[in-house]
Amino acid sequence: MLISKNDLPVLLDRILGEYEVYAPVKEHGKVEFKKISSGTQVCLQYSNSQKPPKGILFPQSEKMFCYETVQDGVRVDEICDCSKKVIWGIRPCDAKSFTILDDAFKNEQYRDPYYYKRRENTVIVGFGCNRPGATCFCTSVNSGPFDTAGSDVFLTELEDKYYVEGITEKGKEFIARYQLPDGSPDTSRIKESAVVASKVNLDGLKEKLDVNFYDEIWDSLWEKCIGCAACTYLCPTCHCFDIVEEAEGGKGCRVRNWDACMFPLFTLHGSGHNPRPSGKERVRQRIMHKFKYFQDKFQQTACVGCGRCIKNCPVNLDIRILLDAIQQRESGEGC
Amino acid sequence: MGNPYLPMPMRLEKNFIETEDKNIRTFTLSFINKEDEQNFKYLPGQFAEVFAFGKGESPFGIASSPTEPGILKFSVMKVGKVTTALHQTPEGAVIGVRGPLGNSYPMEELKGKNLVVIGGGFAFTTLRSTITYILDPKNRGDYGNLTVIYGARNSGLLLYKEELAQWEKRSDITMVATVDRGDENWKGKVGFVPAMTKETAPSAENTYAVVCGPPIMIKFTLPVLEELGFPPERIIMALENRMKCGIGMCGRCNVGNKFVCKDGPVFTLAQLKTMPNEY
Amino acid sequence: MENLARLVQDAARKLLEEKKVDLVIGFEKGSLPLRSTPCFVRKAEDAGKLTWNSSCENNLANYLRKKTEKVGVIAKGCDARSIVALIKENQINLDNLYIIGVPCGGMIDRKKIETILNGRELLASEEKDGWLILKGNGFEQAVRKEDVLHGSCATCRTGNPVLSDELLGEKVPEKEDDYSDVAAFEAKTVAERAAYFAEQMSKCIRCYACRNACPMCYCEECFVDCTAPQWIGKSASSSGDNLIFQAMRAFHTAGRCVDCGSCDRACPMGIDVRNLNRKLARDVKEIFGAEAGMNLEDKPALNEFKFDDPQTFLVKE
Repeated sequence: MLISKNDLPVLLDRILGEYEVYAPVKEHGKVEFKKISSGTQVCLQYSNSQKPPKGILFPQSEKMFCYETVQDGVRVDEICDCSKKVIWGIRPCDAKSFTILDDAFKNEQYRDPYYYKRRENTVIVGFGCNRPGATCFCTSVNSGPFDTAGSDVFLTELEDKYYVEGITEKGKEFIARYQLPDGSPDTSRIKESAVVASKVNLDGLKEKLDVNFYDEIWDSLWEKCIGCAACTYLCPTCHCFDIVEEAEGGKGCRVRNWDACMFPLFTLHGSGHNPRPSGKERVRQRIMHKFKYFQDKFQQTACVGCGRCIKNCPVNLDIRILLDAIQQRESGEGC
Repeated sequence: MGNPYLPMPMRLEKNFIETEDKNIRTFTLSFINKEDEQNFKYLPGQFAEVFAFGKGESPFGIASSPTEPGILKFSVMKVGKVTTALHQTPEGAVIGVRGPLGNSYPMEELKGKNLVVIGGGFAFTTLRSTITYILDPKNRGDYGNLTVIYGARNSGLLLYKEELAQWEKRSDITMVATVDRGDENWKGKVGFVPAMTKETAPSAENTYAVVCGPPIMIKFTLPVLEELGFPPERIIMALENRMKCGIGMCGRCNVGNKFVCKDGPVFTLAQLKTMPNEY
Repeated sequence: MENLARLVQDAARKLLEEKKVDLVIGFEKGSLPLRSTPCFVRKAEDAGKLTWNSSCENNLANYLRKKTEKVGVIAKGCDARSIVALIKENQINLDNLYIIGVPCGGMIDRKKIETILNGRELLASEEKDGWLILKGNGFEQAVRKEDVLHGSCATCRTGNPVLSDELLGEKVPEKEDDYSDVAAFEAKTVAERAAYFAEQMSKCIRCYACRNACPMCYCEECFVDCTAPQWIGKSASSSGDNLIFQAMRAFHTAGRCVDCGSCDRACPMGIDVRNLNRKLARDVKEIFGAEAGMNLEDKPALNEFKFDDPQTFLVKE
């Protein structure tokens, strides 16, 4: 199906009749995913958003439930965000991140109800990258500028229109409702010209990480890290959180906030003992989690190659260089 | 599936000062909803998140045994905001509980085997659960010899003193309570847990050991067990990493690719030897 | 600049060869255009990695606290002032430190470059005679370096390190104090200022890059992390709490902050973090005549009390 660029705001306005719509909006020179109120707000001329759109399904801060001590007990009110949402125009790396979060938020015993409630009620409209950025390395992590993983609907930008494909059943049903003109243009040339120049060699990395936990390479890799959470908070796949009370007296709410393995407090025991006492252990954890532990458990890498951590690290600790350094070390060396 | 983050309400029946220094209290909680009680099926070694409304929740090993119906017990040391609030909670008040969480001691695998329970200080809670469970008339026949070696810095810091005295009198359990420093009121053994383990010298044959205690105690007890012939597969331990969600989501308690909250807290020494040392 | 880079390498190589230090902390070429990155050199043969240019933006004093090795550090003006301030706070042992001072004409503000590029991607850059050539797909644009200096560099008057064991290259011209930006902000109405902060702080994601990039923010437990008592909310959704975090940080670094701008540069969300710190630096100077890290002799402004100290920041006199 096709939608002309000129008609897009009208289509989005129609969608707004039924859904909360989140889309890239340009403000103060930066693009972020915002809840829009009109189709004209949307800016699809963008490379990628500063913050990842993961926050739409896994907000940086969210109330889980509220409570109040009442006579003879406590009243607990569960909170549910049950609104129907559309995320319009997210890049394939970010769409793929939801397949990673899907794994992270369930296990054989439990499912995270807050994430999954939103996930089930959300239609994800991916948007192919005709011009991948210089820090993008999606093709190195089993993805690519036109990867449809995680998308229910997929947009490919043509000169004056978008080619609209339904990917999942949910996406096909969604798009059918808006009766767009038929058409399946040849997009092969666009896809060919979208070159992802930056590469990271992940061949054999997992095998190296399987045995190099105690390798001395970790002694130096972390050295310039200042231990902030810019990399993790701007990572579309990082999903660790903290649980805190926002309460006064017996009345309040249980709130969860993003948290980061880069912070010492993350693992600090009540006794004062910290199993990850320095940046060395914390940087190792971040790499291990993404490229080994997650792979052990879910057979996929918890990195989508969006490059946000590269662009935003205050000290330019580039994950590509870090991984290369690990790769260049002979396995078994120094173990 | 319900929302695993929601606490169930329980009533604080008893808020008991457990140790002479008043830093540890044992809470006995009763289920308010019958349904919650039916759903709360647990085994020794599991833990639960205990929630002081308005202050926060913390994970604690369950000190009661499933053979004690209608209640849950937790022994809690006062260290921070939540534990202080729990200590101050009056009897009759409502407390939130989420659980049971984590795995348990391998009670099924232990059937037909002898068991040595070695504990130190405050880390005796899930061991109490285990002992109580095995000593229950319905279960006692399923297990072989039960030896308990339990130590604290001084007699005032031993938990569950009445029960320790009762166990000492029974013939179906070998109970060795010891203190690091004796005093005029203490009639029992004086010495560190590793030394007492060596002295007691339980046979390793057909025997498992469960070891819980401060790191220093564990460090010196493991070589003793090794010397006695316990293979790492039959030495069972419990980890205590910082936790929040308790259900394997929030990401902080991992040791390698295992979550202590969900895949643990109980691991054999053999398992721990294959995991990174981040605990 | 190329010449300075060579001098930096030579100085580091010599220190390591003569075993005067175990480690030299400097900068190497970064992985992105207009980026240099902190570099830790322990072998003389690796000294060639070191570089010097207008993107050596991090404050390396941040890496010197509680170091047990003997360290040589490449210090520009602000790094040197932070080092002095940290020495006075007993965080750095001067006996274990060798300062290779580099006069600094200012570092480039990547955020200003981003504004100029307006969505176009920078692929390469070149620095030449006070000009910066920005290159990307299908464009090449020259900008004057002085137009794209970081705010803290544009107003900096201590480009020449105040303390060093050796000084490389030629001194940069001294500048006059210029706090006109603070005065301009103060001239706004309360409502305007409140609106400005609310807007800025709404962008905060509490990643604490500002705090962690700051050489003076070294508390074992930061007040924002404290749970008993919990001073402020932990969620980033309240711009009020975010402002309290920044305001408290500014108060805590008052009289200690050397206005190096690290906090500002570290912020991934482009918040004007420096604004509050700078106002306090100006106030401390105006009220007490004190400036952080200018020399080893002056006592830190807030460590000293004199009966005739002005009290204007406490009570209206």
